Order: sequence, then C-alpha cells, then structure tokens
Amino acid sequence: MAMTKTQRRRLSSTVRYVILTGWALMAAFPIYWMVATSFKPDTQWFSWPPVYFPHPPTLANYMNVWFGAEQYAQTQYAISSQKPFVSLWNSTVIASTSTFLSVLFGSILAYGVSRYRILSEARMFQLLMLRMIPPIVVVAPLSLYYSALGLLDTRIGLIMVYFLTTLPYAVWMTKSFIDEVPLEVEQAAEILGASRWRTIFEVVLPLIRSGLVATFLFILILTWSEYLLALILTKTQVSTLPIELSKYQGSTEGRVYGRQAALAVGITIPLMIVGLIIRKHLARGFSFGMVRR
Amino acid sequence: MAVSALPARDAPLATSTRTVSRRRAVRRFKLTLLLPLIGLFLFLLTPVLLLQLYFSVHQWTVYLSSWWDADYVGLDLFRDVLTDPRFGWAVVRSLAFATGSTIGCFVFGFLLAYLMYKPFHGQAIYYVIFILPMLTVPVVVAYTAEMLLYQNGPINDVISILLGVDFKPSWLTNPHIALFTVACLEVWNWTPFSFIIMLAGLSAIPKEPIEAAEILGASKWRIFWEVQVPLLRPVILLALVLRFLEAMAEFPKTWALFQGGPGSATETLPVYIFMTTWQYFEISKGAAMSYIVMLLMIVIVLVAIQLLRREKRSLDAMYEQGAKETEA
Repeated sequence: MAMTKTQRRRLSSTVRYVILTGWALMAAFPIYWMVATSFKPDTQWFSWPPVYFPHPPTLANYMNVWFGAEQYAQTQYAISSQKPFVSLWNSTVIASTSTFLSVLFGSILAYGVSRYRILSEARMFQLLMLRMIPPIVVVAPLSLYYSALGLLDTRIGLIMVYFLTTLPYAVWMTKSFIDEVPLEVEQAAEILGASRWRTIFEVVLPLIRSGLVATFLFILILTWSEYLLALILTKTQVSTLPIELSKYQGSTEGRVYGRQAALAVGITIPLMIVGLIIRKHLARGFSFGMVRR
Repeated sequence: MAVSALPARDAPLATSTRTVSRRRAVRRFKLTLLLPLIGLFLFLLTPVLLLQLYFSVHQWTVYLSSWWDADYVGLDLFRDVLTDPRFGWAVVRSLAFATGSTIGCFVFGFLLAYLMYKPFHGQAIYYVIFILPMLTVPVVVAYTAEMLLYQNGPINDVISILLGVDFKPSWLTNPHIALFTVACLEVWNWTPFSFIIMLAGLSAIPKEPIEAAEILGASKWRIFWEVQVPLLRPVILLALVLRFLEAMAEFPKTWALFQGGPGSATETLPVYIFMTTWQYFEISKGAAMSYIVMLLMIVIVLVAIQLLRREKRSLDAMYEQGAKETEA
C-alpha cells in the first residue's frame, strides 16, 4: 500500500465529505418533506409512488389553515381553521413573557452567584435538578393546584411554569457570561457612587448584552416548543401552536398531511430563524460551564 | 478566574460600625437577589409536591366528590404500582429507549463533531444544516414522521431505490419496531445537541498536548484515545447524562405519534403516567407512580450530578493551574 501523504490526505478529505453530506441529507430530508408537503394538492399527500416535488405547487394548504379560505362545509377539520393566529398570538405572548422573566431573574441570580456566591456550587447543581426531573411527574397535582387558584387555562399559569422550568438554564447560561466581566468595571462603578442595583442594571447587564440575547433566544426555543405542560394546563381558552397542531390529528381520522404541514411550517420557521441567529452560542446554553473557551 | 466575591471574602473582622452596617447591607442584598427563587419554591413547587404526596396516600379519582375527603390508604397505592407488570414494562421500555437513543445521539454527534472541529471548506453550511433537527418542534417531528414513514412512504421508497431491494417495514404499525422508530426520531431530533456539545469540547482542547504527541510520532488513533478522549471526559459525560435524562422524560413524540400503541409497544413511563392520570383518571395511582419515578430520577440525577461536579472541579483545577503556569 504505497500512498503518498497527499493522496492519503485527499482520501480522508473525500471520506469526510461523503459522511458529512450523507448526514446532511438525512437531517434535511424530513424538513424538506414537511415543506414540500405543505405545498402539495391533496391527491399527493399520501400517494404511491410518493411525490417528491409538488406539481403544481399550491398555496391552498396555507390559505386553508391560516386564513380559513376554503369551503367550510366540506371538511370537518375546518372547525379549527380560524384558530392558528390566536394560537400564534398565545404562543408568542407566553413564550416571550416567560422567557423574558426567566432571563431577567436568571441573570440577577447569576450575578449573585458569580459575585456574592449566594448559591454554593452544590446548590447550583441542585437547581439543575429542577430541569432534569420529568415534568410529567408533577403535572397532575399542578393542574389541581392551578384550578384551585383559577390559573388553569390562563396565560399567566403557563408563563409561571415555564419561568420555573427554564430558570436553571437562564442562571447557568448568563453566569457563564457574567463570569467573564472583569471585576474592575464594577469597582469603578462603585467608586463613582453607583448603588448595587444600578451597577447590575447599568453596568454589568449592558456589558453582556449579546449574551443576554443569546440566552433569551435559547430559552425561547424551549418554551416555544413545549408540549406536555401546555397540553394539560390549557383547555379551550388558551392554546399554543404545538397543541393546535396536535388537535388537527385528534379531530379527524383522515390524513390531512398538507394542512398539518402548512401549520407545522408556520410553527417551525420562527424557531429556526431564532436558532440560526444564536447558533454560535448554543453550546454555551447546554454545556453548564463544562466547556472552556 | 474573575469569580472571587466582590466584597473581599476574607474581610478583616468588623471593628467599626461602618463595616458592620456594610456587611448587613450586603447580606440584605444577597437575600433580595434570592427572593424570586425562594418565592417560586414556596408558591409553586412546595404546594405541588405536597399535593402529590397527599394523593399518593389517598385513594381518589375524579368520579369521587371532593379530593379532600378521599380515604387514607397508606402505602397501598405504592404496592399496587410496584406489583403492576405494566409499570414494570414501562420502566424497562423507558430505560431501553433512553439508553439506546443516548448512545445513538452520542455516537453520531461525536463522529460528526470529530469530522468538523478543524476548519474546512463548507464548514459553516454543514453546521447550519446539522443543527436544524434540533430546531424542529418535537410535535412537528412526530407528524412529519407520520408523513414519511407509512409503509409506501418516501423513506421506504428512498431506501428501496438506494439498496435496490423491496424494503417495506411498517415503522408505525409493527409493535416490534415501534419503540425503535421513536428512538430513531429521538436520535434524529437530538443528535445536534450531542454534536454541538462535542464540537465545543473538541475545539476547546488546547493544541499543545496534541502537537507534542504529533512531534513524538504518535498516530492519529493514539492521539485520539490517549490525548483527546481523556481531555474530553467532562464533556462526554455531560452529553451522555443530559441526553439520558431528557430521553427518560420524552413525551411529545411518543404520544403524538403512537399514544402508547400499537398495543402497548411504546408505553414508556411518561406515557403510562399520562394515561393513568388523564385517560383512566386514576389520579392517586398516577401520583404514586409519579413519586416512584421521581425517586428513581432523583437517584439517577444525584449520581449524575456527583460525577459532573467531580469532572467540573478537576477541569477548573486544571485550567487554574494552566493559567498560573502562563502567568509565571
């Protein structure tokens, strides 16, 4: 086996591209299929052989799902066809409010941990447990507790749970940014007579602005796609987009892939935009200080 | 490391009234910082856990009038759950599902990260495509899977064309492979997570030890096993632990796609608890089950946290030593 060094390098480079491209196709194909299905007329949703390119592409699914444009009588699933914008609004309000609260209080806590050690290292890890215990084990008593408080089926109720479940991520992630702010900056602010709170809000937090944005978007991904808690803690008044999508399944026995796909695309696009904006920071959110830069 | 406390930790003993009042102010400030967390625990978490405890020792279903009149049954419910073979199978399924999907995610994630951590042409595009599955809402994954995996569906069609054979497993209706199908979806959905963590870990490894090993003539294989893997241990552990715990709690995909079926093939712990509580309305049995699962998870989490803390501490120590050496 006489192979020069260049040959070997070229071979390993080719192998790399083959593997990576193979995986890229596997990663992208389902997403492509979802998008393609959303543009297909109903005869091609479930056909044999499968139709890989919608021909002709149609906007009917989108019009029907998002604007309820099609004739109502013909389809049972048109019942829910006016809801998506309501759910979109609910999802937006719930996800962004809970995420905002989570990042706000999370960063204040993280500041306290980083500078005053208000939580020991053991406590910080115990905080993570909040996230690691499956939500299914507390959701039944939570719904009873909520119904007693009148919080069942309200936005505030969901916002509070999401706040609690995402707080650990917010603390860990913002802490990794705050740790990098030099102490001198704060000492300077203190000498200039700034109070502790002013130091936090006007010196430290502005300095980690990009970190806060990354944390915000990271947690937004989690709250936007949450399913189980939303499924149980909301009934009729408040429904988020993932729940709305699952209703399409429950209400009919027939396959309405095109409609589902049109709704799914609407749910997924905001998330992908957000994720791609913060793609460089994703590792930080997940790595809990285990990766050094 | 700039993490030392702002007021000097080894402050001299308070002598003047001024230092005393300052210390008091600091303590009050610390407490204020902690208030939201304490509030949340008292208002949200504690009542919920107490309620759960109440239900797990009182027999109550929604058909009975009011839950506070329920009969006290002691530990009967726990015995019921522990002798329920369905619960046992759910535990087995959950553990198998979590183990399998964790290993899958890790192997693929690591492989991709290893191929990508050095810059090459097109790296950015591959990175973007690789993280897309993670940015897909789990429920969407489930419904898209349904569109893809029916017996004459595109996935089977593509595989048949590629392999040149008639490949037609019924991913969605065969009880023998249904759980495997969900595990595959989980791997598809969350490999990006392992990939991102491992990529960050691999890029963070200092170059010096690898270069030193190369100069000494070590093969790529040996460098990988004897330099890179040991340095990556904390990150590997983190990727495995988090993925395992999240997979134990996986609900949206399993439920949206299968609702526990076909038969009871995908009845994992979350699904079984959900069915007991919200379909059979056996709130108390569900509560007892939840407590057992919670205890099981707490044991796993505590072990995991112990391991993670140890790794983090050795990592911190290593980097602090490194910082000292560069200073010197």
